[in-house]
Amino acid sequence: MTSRVIRALITCAGLVALAVALSSCDIGGLHPIFPNPVSPNGQDIYNTYLGISIPAIIIFLGVELALLWVVIRYRRSAQPEGYVPPQLHGNTRLEIVWTAIPLLIVLAIAGYSFAELQKDFQPISNEQMDVTISGHQFGWDYDYQNGVVVHQEGTLAGDVTPFVVPTHTLVKLRFRGNDVIHSWWVPAISGKTDAVPGYDNFSWLKIDQVGTWRGECAELCGVGHSTMQIIVQSMDQADFDRWMNQQKAAAK
Amino acid sequence: MATTVLPRPKAYDDTFFKPISLWLTTTDHKLIGIMYMVTGILSFLIGGVFALVIRLQLSQPNLKVVDPETYNQLISAHGVTMIFFFVTIFLTGIANYMVPIMIGARDMAFPRVNLLGFWLVPVSILLYYSGFFTGGALNAGWTAYAPLTEKAYQSHSLGVDFWALSIIVWAISGIMASTNFLTTIVALRAPGMKFSRLPLFVWAQISTSILLLVVGAPLAAAMILLEFDRQLGTQFFTTAGRPVLYQHLFWFFGHPEVYIMILPGFGMISEIMPVFARKPIFGYMSMVAALFGIVFLSMTVWAHHMFTVGMNTWVEGFFMLMTMLIAVPTGIKFFNWIATAWWGSIEFTVPMKFVFGFLATFLIGGLTGIYLASVPVDTQLHQSYYVVAHLHYVLFGGSVFTIMAGIYYWFPKITGRLLDKKLGEWNFWTLFIGFNGTFLIMHTLGLEGMPRRIATYANESWAATNLIITLSSFLIAFSVLLLMINIVRSWANGEIAGNDPWKANTLEWATTSPPPPYNFERVPPVRSFMPLRDLRESGELVDEPEPVPV
Repeated sequence: MTSRVIRALITCAGLVALAVALSSCDIGGLHPIFPNPVSPNGQDIYNTYLGISIPAIIIFLGVELALLWVVIRYRRSAQPEGYVPPQLHGNTRLEIVWTAIPLLIVLAIAGYSFAELQKDFQPISNEQMDVTISGHQFGWDYDYQNGVVVHQEGTLAGDVTPFVVPTHTLVKLRFRGNDVIHSWWVPAISGKTDAVPGYDNFSWLKIDQVGTWRGECAELCGVGHSTMQIIVQSMDQADFDRWMNQQKAAAK
Repeated sequence: MATTVLPRPKAYDDTFFKPISLWLTTTDHKLIGIMYMVTGILSFLIGGVFALVIRLQLSQPNLKVVDPETYNQLISAHGVTMIFFFVTIFLTGIANYMVPIMIGARDMAFPRVNLLGFWLVPVSILLYYSGFFTGGALNAGWTAYAPLTEKAYQSHSLGVDFWALSIIVWAISGIMASTNFLTTIVALRAPGMKFSRLPLFVWAQISTSILLLVVGAPLAAAMILLEFDRQLGTQFFTTAGRPVLYQHLFWFFGHPEVYIMILPGFGMISEIMPVFARKPIFGYMSMVAALFGIVFLSMTVWAHHMFTVGMNTWVEGFFMLMTMLIAVPTGIKFFNWIATAWWGSIEFTVPMKFVFGFLATFLIGGLTGIYLASVPVDTQLHQSYYVVAHLHYVLFGGSVFTIMAGIYYWFPKITGRLLDKKLGEWNFWTLFIGFNGTFLIMHTLGLEGMPRRIATYANESWAATNLIITLSSFLIAFSVLLLMINIVRSWANGEIAGNDPWKANTLEWATTSPPPPYNFERVPPVRSFMPLRDLRESGELVDEPEPVPV
């Protein structure tokens, strides 16, 4: 029995080492969390994800280790010859415990998530800029409410027209679907918002650094779904004003 | 006077190759069950081929194995085939075979409804696939969100119409089966088989049937409204109507459907675990209560599929809370299974390996479900590869692993022969490794921003991960091939099983393998929820002679 246990433990240790080695290599697509978000609402989602991970990882390790222990310790070959298991039918106290503890854990997670939901997911009214984003087959239109509209047509060739926003500005995003349902998602900024025909949907962003972030449509919308790439570019206010003046000149 | 000596009647006909007229007209719940299961397995193979083409297409960026339109039809067909035509149908089959025997009945309560209900399934499947020959099948995902399915965006094909008709027929078939199961279990239990002594697999079938009975009709209603829109010009879900109403109707069916596909699996785990751990199930009553807790909660969580459509945050909060509460009854079941194994004397037969494979992987699906239930986090994870990973952990790591356990456990009862152990172990390990290799790293792809249902991607940094996933998916295909070889070989020449190869607890093992058309010559007395074990311990169990292979 002991050699079996040792062998099993060595195998497990090897697997864990392999997993650690794999996760430390920088292969794209293997990061255990989404990119560190640049907008405060995205950052709050990030923190909620981390918060839920604490009980989730503890439960995961606890249950998997319990399963491993059962597999190693209570297999017939590890039991003495002629072993007859105790014929237990249950234990009310124990069953109440493992009903109550998960209940408390999920209530805590739900409360924690609900606080974040109330904080960041209400339509805002103190915005400094208002942009209407319309999804269509296949691309996005960004209407800055001043006559300037950026057309971000679908492409996979990498030449995506950026949606430009100024830094340090609270931008209200209003979503509309012009034909079918689309979903606007830039993971490094925040979660996704659906653009549904018939009513407006809301989100917001506030980016405090200069940079470019990519995303794409997340709701199957037809043959060109995968081409609906998104680029969001943030600029200093001065650069943004210069860019906006160019757009206005071009629009005339 | 010449006397004709009648040939001694065979106890039963255990050959699979019965005359086709018998298969077409039989009302025997066992033969119908076999036909359900064979239909399910064939669908599994077809859906698997769709999956392999999808994985080839995604193995590297910017590939053109199939064009985007074909790709959209393939992902839709993969989902529809696996959910509607494989898992649900296979589970109905296994229950159709086992439930009457487990409760000591001779057949289902309504054998002819059973016959009709089964034959509606091939009708439903043929209707769906007709789409491929009439300008293109459904191409909007298995959820088929309006208004993408409306005439304005689908004028060239009849795929959506065939899909809607197929699902209506499927729902009618499911409602028939559910009614039949509930009546059978209520009315045809053997003497002594009180509700408090029902095997947990039968309890699981009660809960599943209640669910399908409640949610099957709204599904058909959604399809009928969609057809009104498409063919009669109404505006229920069009751009001018309420597209989100479709999502509410669909998910009021769609989420309970997840439990329709996993509760029978829970039942199988609750049957198999005690047999090979040599201990009674821990907490029988709380297992039953947990099933009904899940049934109730599962009908109050549908809008957690819709957290990005812009609902009121209090409504979202309600659906979040109800969703997370499902972790409680599921947790009860998990802890009870582990407690059943604790201090046991566990024999790691192939079915038992699949039971532990299920427990190890389903846990991951359950935990990622908590992340997805949290509204803020869900706005990141929704419609990404994280969801694809999650749903395969619950449907493949969950439903398929339990189905595999069920196949290895009950194959000897159905065919009279054991599945080969060596091939079975290879089957298990290749499936376990291939499954986790395929779906574990899909989580991180989703976290990095890869949406589901994209026909291709330009992002080079996703290439390596996608390639690993595609290679692993072919390991799954190899594993399924091993299963098929094992089934075909063992059905023909497998080791003879005898009545009760596992020393099990429930009534199906008290009769011959396979059972005669009337199931039991004499229904054994039932004194607890483990009637066969009681008989074995009291010395009343008289082994019938081993069946002679034909």
